[in-house]
Amino acid sequence: MLRPHGMSSVMIAGPKSVQEDIIKELHRLKVLHIVEHSKDKLADIGTPLESASGLSEILVKVRALISALGIKRENGQFEIKIGIQGIRESAGRISDELGRHLEELRVIELQLSRNEPVVKELAILEDVNIPLEHFASYKSLAYFGGRIKNKESINEIGAQLSLLTKNFMLLASSVKKSNFILLFVDLKIKGNAELILKNHNFSPVNFSSVIGLKGTAAQNLKKTKDEIKRLQASKEEAKRRIEALARQNKDFLVAAESFLAGQLEKAEAPLKFAATQSSFLIKGWIPAEDLHKSIDRLNKAGKGSIYIQFAPAGKKDNVPVKLKNPGLAKPFEFFMDLYSMPSYREIDPTFFVFLTFPIFFGIMLGDIGYGLVSLAVFWLLKRKMPKAGNFFNILMLASFVSIIFGFVFGEFFGFEKIGEIHLWHIISRAEPESVFTLLFAVLIVGAVHVNAGLIAGFINVYKDHGFMAAIYEKASWIVLELGVAMLALSYLGMMPISPLVGAVFLGAAILMIFKGEGVKGIMELPAIFTNILSYARLMAIGLSSVILAVIINESAAGFFRQGGFFILIGILILIIGHIINILLGLLGSFLHSLRLHYVEFFSKFFHGGAKKYQPFGVRED
Amino acid sequence: MAVELGTGLVALASGAAIGLSAIAAAIAEKEIGVAAVGAMAEKEELFGKGLVLTVIPETIVIFGLVVAILILNLAKGG
Repeated sequence: MLRPHGMSSVMIAGPKSVQEDIIKELHRLKVLHIVEHSKDKLADIGTPLESASGLSEILVKVRALISALGIKRENGQFEIKIGIQGIRESAGRISDELGRHLEELRVIELQLSRNEPVVKELAILEDVNIPLEHFASYKSLAYFGGRIKNKESINEIGAQLSLLTKNFMLLASSVKKSNFILLFVDLKIKGNAELILKNHNFSPVNFSSVIGLKGTAAQNLKKTKDEIKRLQASKEEAKRRIEALARQNKDFLVAAESFLAGQLEKAEAPLKFAATQSSFLIKGWIPAEDLHKSIDRLNKAGKGSIYIQFAPAGKKDNVPVKLKNPGLAKPFEFFMDLYSMPSYREIDPTFFVFLTFPIFFGIMLGDIGYGLVSLAVFWLLKRKMPKAGNFFNILMLASFVSIIFGFVFGEFFGFEKIGEIHLWHIISRAEPESVFTLLFAVLIVGAVHVNAGLIAGFINVYKDHGFMAAIYEKASWIVLELGVAMLALSYLGMMPISPLVGAVFLGAAILMIFKGEGVKGIMELPAIFTNILSYARLMAIGLSSVILAVIINESAAGFFRQGGFFILIGILILIIGHIINILLGLLGSFLHSLRLHYVEFFSKFFHGGAKKYQPFGVRED
Repeated sequence: MAVELGTGLVALASGAAIGLSAIAAAIAEKEIGVAAVGAMAEKEELFGKGLVLTVIPETIVIFGLVVAILILNLAKGG
């Protein structure tokens, strides 16, 4: 709490003959955060173990199979017992089988795509009773097939053609509202015929796909459609086989992937080490409580031929941070991940956030009904998505506090009374008179919060730069607040002291801030008050949510009074309105509560920027 | 219902106080939000810092709200 786990810097040196054993032991220990070595005059980085290239090859294959089979990565119970060679063989077998199915699928799809235009063209020719053999190339005949706009044109075309020649045949049919014609003419007058057709808005249709078919269009159409049905059935069958393959091998592939990734991590670990021709050096950090146990085990694994040096973290070291918080506050480390890890030597604000985040959230949402609904929703979501469990734990706690504040404000879905019973409340947000009371209350909350931040800042600066620096940089702001408060109260006659006292405090504070933070501090003087005023949002967000809820309830009540069918509309307004208001309220309460911490609170003491502690051997998701 | 001119003016004034400050905050947040999203596309870890920078101008609206409430209250007192 407030401090991260203590860390010790560790250096492990040894001959290359034991390198692999040490890596294996470190991977089992899962405690060492390795600091990557970068090439320098003294030592190059190490070379990966021999197995690395083979491992990454199989890993790529397994990952490709996982994505080709559409497998979702879940934690299975499968245990890999067959070794790397076994995985290689099994993956090869699955890959071959998948390849066969995919090839089959590809051939089927090719056939399907070939049949598509055939069906289209046959459908046009369905009512034209001509054997399809006629659609071939002729020596003395030309033919045109296509659509024409007006039915009357057909007779005109016939008449005009008969003036030129007797040797023509004109067939017409109507397909789906359009007029289709087919014209065979003597090759000699092809040009004239084309011209006539063009004058009647003829648009040709391509029949290249039916060339070579025999029999009438109707017969062929039926045949082709049957063929498509058959192809589609076998396509489904092939897809089912791929799905079955995925089902059978899902657990194996997921387990193999994680096994191989672990092996590869080990094989590539020397890339992070410093190495000479015959020795290696590993630098890193181990939590102080695991130090001695780890050293013993490493010495055993190194058969006495390695040298381990360790020391507690120094003042200037860039220490990776492993946060330490009690169970209930643990989920709130999520907010530090989101923002920045506190550095090793400063206060870890997680516990403060745990104390105040749900309260701020609760003040803003503050409704028994909304709190119950969101509590239930987040509980369900947590069960659906166990990976985001921490996040939902935060929200569930915040929803619970919202219910408590719902009792404080006496609100249930915006209603202040249920039936004839008035909900008991400490302060009602819906009454205009209470707005000022509430405003003062949240500003006091703000002042307390901001000053808590200043005190935390005081402790941070005191540890790093000594007592006087802490006075000038942090305590000066508290003096400033006191000065302004006294000045204001004495002017308003609420405090029987001379305004001079306040002015002296104010002047002293400004001098201290100038000494501590320079001109920048003087320019920032009003910021402390805008920060406190910013907590007015605790009232404002809540107020807007209440007013929206009241509007929803009143407009629904209007429909209820009309009775009959209107009651349904009223219920609909209630449901949709409150869903929207809950969503808005949750989003607003969450973001604004978070903002009050990140901006107003953290700016008083927090620096952050540390690396997160990531021990070798623990897999990141 | 008949509303006195003075009451209407007070309502307008407090509406303007919060409305105009909200517009100002929106303009400022727009610019910052665009930059923050751009930065996040490059580096996802910047979400926390991006959020903080984006919401900084929001305080202007809070000032607007406080001023609006003060105007309403002064009118009631006077």
